[in-house]
Amino acid sequence: MFAGANAPPAPTEPPRRSANAAAVRVQGRRPAIERVGKPCYGAAVITFDQVSRRFGERLALDGVSWRMDEGECVVFQGHSGAGKTTLLRLITHEVQPTSGRVVVGTFRGGRLSRRQRALLRRTLGIIYEDFRLLHDRTVFENVAVAVRIAGHSRDDEVIPRVMYALEEVGLHQKQASFPHELSFGEKQRAAIARAIVNRPAVILADEPTGALEKRSADDVLALLRRIHDEGAALLVVTTRQSVAEALPGRLIELADGRVVSGDTGMAAAPEATDAMPDAADAADSMADAAEPAPPDAPPMEMP
Amino acid sequence: MSMHAFYLREALRSLRHHGGLATTAILALTAALTLAGMFLLLAHNAEMALQFIGDRRVMVVYLKDEVSDAQRDALNQRLGSLFGAVTYVSKDDAWKEFAQQVGDPQLLEAVGQNPLPASLRVRLRPELLNAPAMAEAARQVQAFPEVEDVRYGAEWVSRLDALNAAVRSGAIAVGLAVAIGIVFVLYNTIRLTVLARRPQVEIMSRLGATDGFVARPFVLEAMFEAVISAVLALAVLYGIERAIAFNIVGVVFLPWSWAAAFVGVAVALAWLAASLALSRVLRSVGP
Repeated sequence: MFAGANAPPAPTEPPRRSANAAAVRVQGRRPAIERVGKPCYGAAVITFDQVSRRFGERLALDGVSWRMDEGECVVFQGHSGAGKTTLLRLITHEVQPTSGRVVVGTFRGGRLSRRQRALLRRTLGIIYEDFRLLHDRTVFENVAVAVRIAGHSRDDEVIPRVMYALEEVGLHQKQASFPHELSFGEKQRAAIARAIVNRPAVILADEPTGALEKRSADDVLALLRRIHDEGAALLVVTTRQSVAEALPGRLIELADGRVVSGDTGMAAAPEATDAMPDAADAADSMADAAEPAPPDAPPMEMP
Repeated sequence: MSMHAFYLREALRSLRHHGGLATTAILALTAALTLAGMFLLLAHNAEMALQFIGDRRVMVVYLKDEVSDAQRDALNQRLGSLFGAVTYVSKDDAWKEFAQQVGDPQLLEAVGQNPLPASLRVRLRPELLNAPAMAEAARQVQAFPEVEDVRYGAEWVSRLDALNAAVRSGAIAVGLAVAIGIVFVLYNTIRLTVLARRPQVEIMSRLGATDGFVARPFVLEAMFEAVISAVLALAVLYGIERAIAFNIVGVVFLPWSWAAAFVGVAVALAWLAASLALSRVLRSVGP
């Protein structure tokens, strides 16, 4: 891995993410769903149930159903305007479904409060095509801000986490650089470091290689594969066949807002979404779950 | 670094990166606060002057000529216990005062025999230094059988009180208007700052930042701007006060407690304006 001789005051042995639900903990706490005390099937981290989303006259998503389980990798491929980004925005609660239901972890569909929405987003790691780094901050600060958002303020909490994430993406030498001093590939690796620094259970990547030339794209895809291998669920949306082929896991094709081929994972899913806790319970339990794990902790639970 | 230090650093970073916007806001606030401060200075000096004049308010109780020394002493004691310090002015003393004021011996000779009555001058207690209380006190004093007449300059006292009230009302009205102006300026400055930093706010929101996390640096920034503006306004006011005192008339600067309250109110208004602005603008900016 990237832990080398110049390792910062972080664990030099990288933690292994585990897809084993029993092994998944958040800083030693019980999984959030156990705290809610309601039954929950399997280990679905994201479920779309007949989800449609309309923007004015345009139907961006049309009755889409799919699910992704803990530790899985799912790639959505489709042309521009197929509804891929809308799908991600529904997961992050930037938009609400016009009909149907989106369940992310313990957050069931419906309108979340702004606080609940913030909690939900802290359980996700998001990577964008255009990186979305803070231009007036160094690479270190860009990653550190995600740790601070998760509620950690002390340097002895922030620095090891950030340095470990930077080592993991091979950017520890560039920690003092500003985004404009980085190549596109390095910017995307900085964005990945920011996405993984709180060790979320799910990584969302929106066209992660869209702005990269082939070699940087290959590096980023290799990095994503490794993060997935360590146990994180990985959801990638892309227009590129090559990206879909480079990643393990299920491929689902979208066209004009509909699933046109691929394994949506719904065939084996029990009809039990009602067993999920409601948003209020979810917010309560996720308030604990949203805290970032230390570098040597396994990934965050998304029951 | 604690979270407070982080917010502080973020606020300073924002001030540095949006120096033009911050400078405009500070100048506008300084102008508004200077205006408010001038009325505060005026009100303070007016109050000082009125207090000085008010302290010289005396009720003059003219005694009947037939009042004996014993009766006079009893009345003196009674008025002293009820209304304030009493000074006895005999007929001779009154004549001497009158002679001093007139100054012309021929005119005094023309008057002939001393027509002035003896009197008791009552320096009223502070709580009685207003028109209604003085009128009531005069009515009560007039009821004593030894008293010929009571004078306290009723009309003059009423005017003084009205002037005092007008100055206070003016200061409050201007203070309120300026407070609204300050809230307006800061509200829009913070709104513009947030809009200028929209991409950053959106990124933080997507990372799961709560509104509080995003808002606190902006609130601190507004409070910084208010402190700087208030201190600048006080400096300008001090310059104005010195210029007036040196060239026109003796005036005094605001006491330290007033100056501290001035800064404190400006900071409180900044907090209010920033909180109002952020509660609205973050809903429209955050994804």
